[in-house]
Formats: sequence, structure tokens, C-alpha cells
Amino acid sequence: MPLLVQSPPLTAQQVVDRIQKNAGVPWQPQSLDTFKAGDPSTSVTGIATTGMATIDVLTRASKAKTNLVIALEPTFFGRLDAEATTDPVYTAKQEFIRKNGLVVWRFTDHWRARKPDPFATGLAAVLGWTKYQVADDVFRYDVPPITLTALAADLAKRFKARAGIRVIGDPQTRVRRVALLPGLSTLAAAMKSMPECDLLLAGETREWESVEYVHDTVASGQKKGMIMLGRVMSEDPGMNACAGWLKTLVPEVPVQWMPAGDAYWRPA
Amino acid sequence: MTANDVVDRIKKNLGVPWNDKTVRDTFKAGSPETEVKGIATTFMATLDMIQRAHAAGLNMVVTHEPTFWNDQDKVQDLANDNTYKFKTDFCARNNIVVWRFHDHIHARRPDLIWVGLARALGWTDRASGPNQRSFTLPPTTLGTLAAAVKKQMGSRALRVVGDPNAKVSTVAVGMGYGMPRVSPDIDVVMGGENPETGGPFDDTEYVLDAAVFGKNKGQIILGHAISEEPGMEDCANWMRSFITEVPIQFVRAGEPYWSL
Repeated sequence: MPLLVQSPPLTAQQVVDRIQKNAGVPWQPQSLDTFKAGDPSTSVTGIATTGMATIDVLTRASKAKTNLVIALEPTFFGRLDAEATTDPVYTAKQEFIRKNGLVVWRFTDHWRARKPDPFATGLAAVLGWTKYQVADDVFRYDVPPITLTALAADLAKRFKARAGIRVIGDPQTRVRRVALLPGLSTLAAAMKSMPECDLLLAGETREWESVEYVHDTVASGQKKGMIMLGRVMSEDPGMNACAGWLKTLVPEVPVQWMPAGDAYWRPA
Repeated sequence: MTANDVVDRIKKNLGVPWNDKTVRDTFKAGSPETEVKGIATTFMATLDMIQRAHAAGLNMVVTHEPTFWNDQDKVQDLANDNTYKFKTDFCARNNIVVWRFHDHIHARRPDLIWVGLARALGWTDRASGPNQRSFTLPPTTLGTLAAAVKKQMGSRALRVVGDPNAKVSTVAVGMGYGMPRVSPDIDVVMGGENPETGGPFDDTEYVLDAAVFGKNKGQIILGHAISEEPGMEDCANWMRSFITEVPIQFVRAGEPYWSL
């Protein structure tokens, strides 16, 4: 009779313990990186990383027999992942997670603290730009010159975007040096990058800050621009980088990136 | 008539006390003693907007939002920036004065920015109740509503969340950097701009998930400019009622984005 060698089950808590030990940054006791739903003692069948654990992502994870979801952003509609509410959408999401035996753990504060910045390297990798990196700066890339309109179309295709991409600048402006500003970025970040770059590839910026600054820069005659991908869409590739890292750390189960996609559409 | 005279006239006609501690509603460029040839009201004193105001012979800009890319128009860190130099040089060379009118136009009753948004939407007399910023519309779908709003507001880059076929009727509306919170009584929330996630309450994720569960919810994000620009046209009309010495025009800053 053949001897069945079965490895002991790996729990969600054990995966998190392994992440904490290997994060490469000191683990802060007060952080947003905690379990948001499900039982930490659940045996993990697979791991999905994502920008946001929407019901759509959780459904895809469940269908792929992947029961640990590692999410960058909140799951329950706000920074603090609200507890105990009678809201029908909140309770339906909780019920969906329970019924499907899912576990959701948030990984934001510590993943963001890693060097080099995984959101910059992750975005560059998804775009195929890693080879264009300028020296040792993971935020800058010299891409083959391309017009703003062609680049915006290419980004829309790669991200399967609908209405989430917005552009400032002349559509025919050719850009070469690109600064990556994934996530929410400040005026200071835009002002630091703009003089040496043709394009800011940003996530979310304020309309009275970087948006007006780039608009004025273009109006002053400089051939530049900014493409805004949206906060989640610009940072989701950082969770692809996270999946790559987890594959080496948790070889026992499959790990895959499940991007949340573009939340937005626009009527004709 | 000097720029200072214009501001004094606004203060006298505002109908609410002036807050002398305001950091927003102050002069941002040019001297208050400048003689005013004409006034341009606008959502935002962008370089492009200032250039068009100048071409129209208007040398005082009354702007709702900042001139130098931050809420308090702090400029000490900007001195070496080429865009800053270009913008300030243009203003100085052409004798342009920029003054911001934000906190007090919102404090006025009624708030002219709100009046303008409701007017632009075509919903002036349709509020759910007195002083309410929600509307009960004839039942429609989110897709039909969003298409009507996009056309009505002349937006290119507006964004919508939710199922286009969702049946909706109640709409809560915010302005600028303001997005109402979706609730059991409200089907659709609409505003200017908002943090996409990680705020006290994330409408976008809520509406995405609500749609999967078949709840009739939607979010329409107009853009900050699109939501607040109409009110500065109302501001120009209002100012003409007490300033007759110089021409007053509404000069659009326009939607800053384009989209595929």
C-alpha cells in the first residue's frame, strides 16, 4: 500500500506569521494590517492578492478555490473596516465571505514600507517598462517616445479600463521620460518630478493641486502631461508584485493576483 | 475703482459677517490698489483662464479655488519652479490681480455655488425639501440619469459607478471636494471629487458591491470643476447687481481632463 504523504494544513494565521517574519520592515503593533473577515485558523487552499477585495474579486477567488484574500485597501467601505452594522450590503458581504469559507487579511502599511517601492516596480513590470528604468530610480522610466493619446489607449487596453483613465495635456504631445506616482500623490511629488520628466503617470491627485499644476505647466508652453489611472487601478500592480513575493514565501499553495479592475464607466 | 474697492463692495453685499481670519479669501497676485478695468469670475485661476481674461480686457480675477496649487496658496516653496515663474510673470507684466472667493461665497445664503450647481443640473425647484441637498426624481435608470447629467453639465470625463440598469429615484448631491454618503434612503450619490478609498466611508466600493447584490445604488463623480464652475457664473450675475462701474464676465476655467 503506497504511503500517502500529506503535509500538515497551512492556516491563514501561519501565512500571516510568515509574512510578518519576512516583511523586511519592523512589524508595527498598531497597524491596519489585520484580519478583516473570516477565521484565521482556516486551512489555506490558495492565496489571491488584490488592490481591493470587492465582491467581484471575492467571487473570482472562491471560484478558483482560493480562500485567503490579501487586500491592499479596506474591505468594508472605509479606512477602519467598520464592524457590527445592520447595513444590508455590509451584512451580505459578511455572509458571502462566511458561506464561502473565505478569509480576508489587509496588507497595506507594511507592504508600502518595503524598499524599493513595490508599487513603482509593480506598475513598471505590468507595463513592461522595467527595462526602461532610469539608473537606480524605480520611479523613472525612459520609454520609446509615444504620444499622450497612444499611451492612454495602450494603458486602457492593458488595464481593461473603461472610464477610469483621465488625461491632461495635448493628445499629440510625445513623451519619453515618465515619472510613476502610483496611489494618492501630493503637489510636492508632482513638482519634484515634472521638471525632469515629460509625463506624470499618477493614480489619484487633487484637482486644486497637481491637476492645476500640470494644466498650468502645459499652458506655459511646456510639452508635458499627466495621465491619472485612479488610486486602486494604479496600485493594483503593486499587489501583483506582492503575489510574486508570496510565491517564494508560501510555496505550499498557489498564489495569484486578482486585480479589482476599473470601477468606473461613462455614458456615451 | 481699485481691486480693494471691489472686495469691500462684496463684503458689504454679502449678507453674512466677514471672517477676517480667512486664509482662503485673500489676494493671491497683484496689488489690491490696482485700478480695475474689468472683472472675470471663475472656478479656478488657471494660467490658461488668466490669459483669456487678459485677452478680454479683464484684469481682476475672482477665483473660487487656489491659484498656486495648494489650498492656502502658500508660495514659499515655489519660487524656483518654472511654471510658478511663468504664471507670476504673466500676472505682473499684465497688471493682473487675483482674489479668491471661497469660504464666504459658500457661507452666503443661499450659497451661490450650490445655486449654480442646482441650476446647471436643471433641478432648481426639485429639492426633496427646504434647504435639502437631495432630490426625488421621477424613477429612471442609473444609465439614463448619468447620460442626462453628463450632457447637461457638458462633461467629458465624468465617472459613474454601479449597474446602468439600476432603478433609481433619490439623489444626494455634493459640491467640490464633497461626496454625500450613500444610505438606505438615497439611491445615487453625486459630487465633485473624493478620495477613491480609505476615507471615513467609501461610496465607490460600497456601490460596486451593492450592485452585485442587486441593490439599486449608484455614484456619479462630476469632477471638482464641473460641480462648482456654474456657481461662479451666478457670482458674476450677483456682482453686477452692486458693481456697475466696470464690466463683469464669467470666464470658464473648464474641465481640466480629457478622456478616451
